[in-house]
Amino acid sequence: MRTKILIGVAFASLFGAAVPVWAHHSFAAEFDINKPVKLEGTVTSMEWINPHSWIHLDVKGPDGKTANWMVEGGSPNILLRRGFTKKSLEPGTVIVVDGFQAKNGEYRANGSNITFPDGKRLFLGGSNPNELPQATK
Amino acid sequence: MTPSKYFLGASIAIAMLVPVFLPAQTKSWTQPKTPWGDPDIQGVWPGTAMVGTPLERDKSLGTRAFLTEDEFAKRAERAKTQAAIDNEETVSDLTRCDPGRGGLGNTPTTCKNGISIGPPLYWDDRGKPSKQASLVMDPPDGRIPPLTPEAQKMAAERIAARRARPCAATAGGCHDTWEDESLWDRCITRGTVGSIVPNTYNQGNQILQTPGYVVLRNEMIHESRIIPVAAPNNAGRPHVPPAIRTWLGDSRGHWEGNTLVVETTNFLDKTVIGQTPASEDLKLVEKFARVSADTMNYSVTIEDPKTWTKPWTISFPLKSEPDYVLYEYACHEGNYYMYNALSGARAEEKKAARNGR
Amino acid sequence: MICQRGFAALGLFWALTAAGQTPAPKAPRTPNLNGIWEALGTANWDLQDHAAQAGPFWQTGAIGAEPAGLGVVVGGEIPYLPAAAAKKKENFANRAKNDPEAKCYLPGIPRATYLPYPFQIVQSPKDILMVYEFASANRLINMGKPIEAGADSWMGTSNGHWEGNTLVVDVTGLNGLSWFDRAGDFASDSLHVVERFTRVDADHITYEATIEDPKTFSKPWKISLPLYKRVEKNAQLLEFKCVPFSEELLYGQFKKQ
Repeated sequence: MRTKILIGVAFASLFGAAVPVWAHHSFAAEFDINKPVKLEGTVTSMEWINPHSWIHLDVKGPDGKTANWMVEGGSPNILLRRGFTKKSLEPGTVIVVDGFQAKNGEYRANGSNITFPDGKRLFLGGSNPNELPQATK
Repeated sequence: MTPSKYFLGASIAIAMLVPVFLPAQTKSWTQPKTPWGDPDIQGVWPGTAMVGTPLERDKSLGTRAFLTEDEFAKRAERAKTQAAIDNEETVSDLTRCDPGRGGLGNTPTTCKNGISIGPPLYWDDRGKPSKQASLVMDPPDGRIPPLTPEAQKMAAERIAARRARPCAATAGGCHDTWEDESLWDRCITRGTVGSIVPNTYNQGNQILQTPGYVVLRNEMIHESRIIPVAAPNNAGRPHVPPAIRTWLGDSRGHWEGNTLVVETTNFLDKTVIGQTPASEDLKLVEKFARVSADTMNYSVTIEDPKTWTKPWTISFPLKSEPDYVLYEYACHEGNYYMYNALSGARAEEKKAARNGR
Repeated sequence: MICQRGFAALGLFWALTAAGQTPAPKAPRTPNLNGIWEALGTANWDLQDHAAQAGPFWQTGAIGAEPAGLGVVVGGEIPYLPAAAAKKKENFANRAKNDPEAKCYLPGIPRATYLPYPFQIVQSPKDILMVYEFASANRLINMGKPIEAGADSWMGTSNGHWEGNTLVVDVTGLNGLSWFDRAGDFASDSLHVVERFTRVDADHITYEATIEDPKTFSKPWKISLPLYKRVEKNAQLLEFKCVPFSEELLYGQFKKQ
């Protein structure tokens, strides 16, 4: 197991690290790896803020009660550059979230996977594979 | 005319002899000037093209600064695979957590059952692969020089002090106060070097000029570094007195030909470069050299004799992207992380106390 | 030959404008707003007329107390709708904890202009950048074709153009989270501000801002105040990254006791 990770890191260092040089902040400090959640709910609003956007959604629990969850996304600046705007996620939209709950026990989670009920990813529009990979001059 | 033919031949020969770190000036392009006669380096120069190039060079490459065609092809292939994964409409199991495919890696704290503990992984700027083997280009092996004995001792003391705290042994680490968080997580600054060196997202850099000044805007964290530039044959204004110390330092610029040279001093003793705290003797010398309409060579030489045994230099080309928009990055205002991390640690402590630990 | 003279004249124009003098125009003349500017007075305490009074922190004695000030609101009063007037009162009562300035949050427009910290106007040939010492705030005024905000922000989206000698800036896309002053004056995210910067002489700019927000105010209203040039030799913006000064206020209750 350890060897595998070391090889992965060496590979990354030669050919370009996928993980950034100066790391993301420590999500493990916010969220609990032992509290996985899968949420399906209705979007009420989205905070287009940095360092991370937050999607608010109403989730009906098994007991029939509605809980107001908030789910962490990425930086909105990236979405804006891809052409998404604050109008792109209408309240009332149903989304599905895979993540982990906040350590402080609140109705907060990170959104490792955020999709529509049909499984399609939200805010798709990563780097265009057809634009790569020319050598930079 | 014969003389120009010889000149052309000679300049090509010279160009081939000189080891070129950075793109050379193309023959057909002339450096534009601002209306008041300074070299015009204005524009939007995000670091997107260099995202993915590691800071330090893999040891196996030695003093080779650029990848071979084969190595580059592998890097390019990897980027292409990553882009394809990013664009997958639905999430395949292979993309989750696998570090070889963009995931954070399946470690006990970052990934479980294929789900990672961060935001969606495609919510990033992946950049374009470059042939540069590392961002560090001097020393010639592309690796940061060793720390001074003094700095090593301080690092060891820091590690020991951290390990001595009971919270250090917990899975989440220590989050007693905001001072346990990085400058980045506190949304204070990424630092002068960190604000321009490419990272995972929001690499926006913009340069504006007005008589006597060049201003470098960085998207992260909404910095605007105002650099007074000395008039030709003029010493320019001195740095602020030593009592004035700042997070981004005090910058002074002058032109050497068409290259803007910026010296920055007067740092607080709390700045960090990479993972290493720098001393207040830190001095940076940056060079901005536009070599074509769309390429500007950037380098920063980091000098701190209290911290590193010798100066070292990061350099890479910045590419113009006129359509790239720098958006506001109001980090502190939206810093739920701080609240989540601190209150999370308090909740864990309460839980541990309840369980009689 | 003519070309060379033309360039020389343009160079002279820029050289003279850099020194703050008015050249004899040879080309269409754009006013020069370059420089370090700062407001005097007490608009940041309270935009409306106010008497001297205790501040939120008695612990600082007279240092933290509020000076008297003549208001900068043209016509005297801010025309709040009834519900908004109540919210303003609530803001004032809770200002020690809720003033975004205390939290080191980005001040928004127009407050950034009259904070008690200098700001620098960087007028490039294309766009105009305003850099504020407070919290490293800054905003780019787009002087080309107007752009629309894709999302709200603290400093808003600024589109500018010249009307004679006046820089007119249209600001939208503000998020409604900043205040106008320490007295709790505020607006919603429907706020629309139109600013006018007119350099009336070498050392003064007249600043006017028309505030419009039908969710908060019964009609548009206007503020007007002078901005003073920082004329000291080698005047420069220093750094006021106030996040470390606000952490105890914001997170003190969550630290380990």
